[in-house]
Amino acid sequence: MEGETLDQAPAHVASAASQERIIEMAGVNKWFGQFHVLKDIDLTVRQRERIVICGPSGSGKSTLIRCINHLEQHQEGQIVVDGNELNADVRNIDAIRSEVGMVFQQFNLFPHLTVLENCTLAPIWVKKLPKAEAEDIAMGLLERVRIPEQAQKYPLQLSGGQQQRVAIARALCMRPKIMLFDEPTSALDPEMIKEVLDVMVELAREGMTMLVVTHEMGFARMVADRVIFMDQGEIVEQADPETFFNHPQYDRTKLFLSQILAH
Amino acid sequence: MLALPRSSRRAGGLIGWLNNAHVRAILYQVLTAAAIVLLGWYLVHNTVANLDARGMSVGFGFLDASAGFGISFTLIPYQEGDTYSRVFLVGIANTLLVAIISIILATVLGLIIGLARLSDNWLIRTLSRTYIEILRNTPLLLQIIAWFFGVFNLLPRPRDSLSWLDVFALNNRGFYMPAPLPGPGFEFVIAAFVLAVAFAVGLKRWAHRRQDATGQIFPALPVGFAAIVFVPLAVFWVLGAPLAWEMPELRGFNYQGGLSVPPSFCALVVALSVYTSCFIAENVRSGIQSVSKGQHEAAASLNLKPSWTMRLIILPQALRVIIPPTISQYLNVTKNSSLAIAIGFPDLVSVWMNTSLNQSGQAIPIVAMTMAFYCAASLTVSLIMNQYNRRVMLKER
Amino acid sequence: MSEPELVFRPKPARPAPAGTLGVIGWVRHNLFSSPANVLLTVLGAYAAYVVVSAVLDWAVFNAVWEADSRRECLDMVGRSGACWPGVAAWFWNLIYGLYPKDEVWRINLGFLVLVAWVVPLWLERVRSKVAIGLSAVLVYPFLASYFFLGGEKGLIWSLLIAFSLLTFVWVLATSVVERRTGRTLAETLLARVGAADADPAHQRRVLLWSALAALVVAYAVVWLWRLPETPTNDWGGLFLTLVISGIGITFSLPAGVLLALGRRCDLPVISVFCTVFIELFRSVPLITILFMFTTMLPLFLPVGVEVDLLVRAIVAVCLFASAYMAEIVRGGLQAIPRGQYEAAAAMGLGYWRSTALIIMPQALKIMIPTIVGQFIGLFKDTTLVSIIGLFDLLNMARAVGEDTRWLGLFIEPFFFVTLLYFVFCFAMSQYSISLERKLDTGHRR
Repeated sequence: MEGETLDQAPAHVASAASQERIIEMAGVNKWFGQFHVLKDIDLTVRQRERIVICGPSGSGKSTLIRCINHLEQHQEGQIVVDGNELNADVRNIDAIRSEVGMVFQQFNLFPHLTVLENCTLAPIWVKKLPKAEAEDIAMGLLERVRIPEQAQKYPLQLSGGQQQRVAIARALCMRPKIMLFDEPTSALDPEMIKEVLDVMVELAREGMTMLVVTHEMGFARMVADRVIFMDQGEIVEQADPETFFNHPQYDRTKLFLSQILAH
Repeated sequence: MLALPRSSRRAGGLIGWLNNAHVRAILYQVLTAAAIVLLGWYLVHNTVANLDARGMSVGFGFLDASAGFGISFTLIPYQEGDTYSRVFLVGIANTLLVAIISIILATVLGLIIGLARLSDNWLIRTLSRTYIEILRNTPLLLQIIAWFFGVFNLLPRPRDSLSWLDVFALNNRGFYMPAPLPGPGFEFVIAAFVLAVAFAVGLKRWAHRRQDATGQIFPALPVGFAAIVFVPLAVFWVLGAPLAWEMPELRGFNYQGGLSVPPSFCALVVALSVYTSCFIAENVRSGIQSVSKGQHEAAASLNLKPSWTMRLIILPQALRVIIPPTISQYLNVTKNSSLAIAIGFPDLVSVWMNTSLNQSGQAIPIVAMTMAFYCAASLTVSLIMNQYNRRVMLKER
Repeated sequence: MSEPELVFRPKPARPAPAGTLGVIGWVRHNLFSSPANVLLTVLGAYAAYVVVSAVLDWAVFNAVWEADSRRECLDMVGRSGACWPGVAAWFWNLIYGLYPKDEVWRINLGFLVLVAWVVPLWLERVRSKVAIGLSAVLVYPFLASYFFLGGEKGLIWSLLIAFSLLTFVWVLATSVVERRTGRTLAETLLARVGAADADPAHQRRVLLWSALAALVVAYAVVWLWRLPETPTNDWGGLFLTLVISGIGITFSLPAGVLLALGRRCDLPVISVFCTVFIELFRSVPLITILFMFTTMLPLFLPVGVEVDLLVRAIVAVCLFASAYMAEIVRGGLQAIPRGQYEAAAAMGLGYWRSTALIIMPQALKIMIPTIVGQFIGLFKDTTLVSIIGLFDLLNMARAVGEDTRWLGLFIEPFFFVTLLYFVFCFAMSQYSISLERKLDTGHRR
């Protein structure tokens, strides 16, 4: 069971979700060419809520979270992030992106910059912080992800797990309110998955609003306030982890869980 | 039964001796060296015999003799009575002139075409691809000849020149432009220009330091550029415009005065830059495409503006891919400028390896000097390239 | 589990909103996505229209298709249309040069044989592809020289030609037999004479004797079938271009492999010599090498030995191409992972055998697209021989305008020749791109 890889973390991080709504999606539809990837998605996320999204590949889960910071453009429906509606207005997109951090499956670190420069780039150029201040913040976050000693190295000199932790620190440097994780551990070797999940658990404990696309069910059990299962572009079912894993409602969810938890 | 390991075989007799790796290595090398020496001796022997038979001698003595032929276009001063060594220098200067101008034009053109190749407009993409495919799939020599005989030679006579504001003129005798004649005080304009450049560099450094300290961003690039353009202009205007232009004027059958280049020069430069621009465009395209989509997405998720993403993320990575093959294209331009001979432009190969060789008959020193020039050029370029590659190599484990 | 189970029924996919799909969606997305793009589209379309319509007007609509001289053309349409009869009258020369008309079939036959020789390389179920490919590079040239040059041959040369002829027959027979039966020619042959189960020594004897018998027959054919000599002075046009670039690429393959191995080897004398040769020939322009060989080859050879101009040009092109090929091969060898060398060494193969059996086949496979690209380059570079006075395709095109009947006809033959070059090079480059894709996927599994 995946849960055992996270043994020293507490059994369940207490839910800290407030009532304030921070993301609202209503009737969101998206097509890739003729292919209907997202069908009438309705989703509300409250502040400090931790959501895990799972589902078979091609179910639209990555596309869903990529719509939130406008890496993909939805074609129908409404997405409101912290009071800003996602539309063609560039200022709104700016406002939303400055509150949303993202971590990618393939890390997407900038290979020509050192780890520290990766972290300070956006604070310096977007937030216009003095270099020293940006570096202080970055070093603080690199310590939190437990790699301060790698600050002067280049990304390709690090292991996959270390790179992904740098990517988390880089996103956190912008002080986002919401973090999106797009399969953060799928490109990692098994022994590196834990070091990344540990960092994410810690982040959850501190009350960050998180949307995590992952197949790490142990992580979902331990951290999530809500688990969402998607298939064929739809949200099939969503529930708290206890209900989701022990009493799934739909046949499709049961099948998925039996496949993913089989080994 | 256990077989004895091979290495324990006793190396006995001549065969065993020949199977020794060290002996073999030396033997191969001695044989190769002997073959090269023998071949060299054979060639030298034949050459000496041939030269004897023709009553010629080999040496660099002819360099001081008068060449005794005129050259239609020279960048550095040259008269008909000058020596062969002067002809060599004239050839090198002309070759470098063609190469440098073509390189600049090809880079600008290649950059534009390369970016057009990446346009999100289908028509622009298709047109630039057509341009590239047509030009790089036809021989350069054919293009040079076509530009020369098909375009620049068919231009109107001087009297009906294509002219622009009566300042530039293009006709079948060449391209004419005004020559600058600096007047008294012009050196101040040049000084102002140098100061403005220094100021721009200083400004850039200051802006960088200030951003490090306070986080504020100063538009050093446009301001510095404006300074470089306008400060010298202002000084120029205050001093009462101390620069006269010698205009090309139509007298009799042709233009006189000003600066001019012959049609062969125009054809060569246009053909070389157009042909090379295709390869540079492909370098630009593959360089920019080599930066993965994830880099764009990461920059977007950090809320970097598109122009900064280009400057801070994409270009630094793309340039590593673009620059090395582009430098070798620059070397190719220099080598390809030797095709000038087909349209009678006096470059190094044309005046030196052709005219001088035919007149003096000194094949060996002339061929050696020509090759030495091109080898020196390519050696310089590969040194630069190695330096660059060492500097920008991505640090990996 | 006792809870009532709900069945998930996915909503049917709706079609995408209008305007994002189909022709309209495509046009909107690819041509008119922003005001700047609208402007670019309009400007681009206008520029394309101007160029294409000008070329079509000149080359097709206003062109003269039947006339006896350029004068006639000019009288009919002036300079507004092309004068194609001039190109048509010279078409033969543009392709074959001044090769005697009665002998042109030899050129055609020579190229047909080449095509038949290499076609099996693309056929499925043919197993001896390596042998066929190698023979096309190493053996075909003798047969080609016999077709193209003709004339009297000495005994050794005749034997080589006979061997080449025999190899051609072997290639045809092998590919037919292997495609039909999936067995090699030798196996089939032995089965036919009833020696399929005989001991290996006997089998080898049978094969050797039948090969020798075939060689004798081939020699008799060559001896009986005399072709009149056609001097290289008469060679020209596309034929000459193909011969020079073909010989260049054929020679450069083995020479490039040797040079590359030499450059990489641990023996300093050999590696320095190869490096100097490669770098020297790569750093100077082809035209200087051509000039060098036309002026200096006569000096290098014994007094009184005259060398044909074509031969001098070919020697220059071959050395030039070899230096470039050496660098391609070196790149291919560098792409082979170290593990392959170690595996080969671990199997106890010596240097030559591990190179020939393990390393080189893999490297050559990776290099095929680059080699095709190199051939395109060489094909284009062959135009330079026109500067030293050979009548290749380019010089033939210039010769049209010097014919008294078609005096000054310049653009039309050039247009035609450009088209020929373009079609040839473009097809080759597309082929090499598709090969590259195929190899790429092959590597990633």
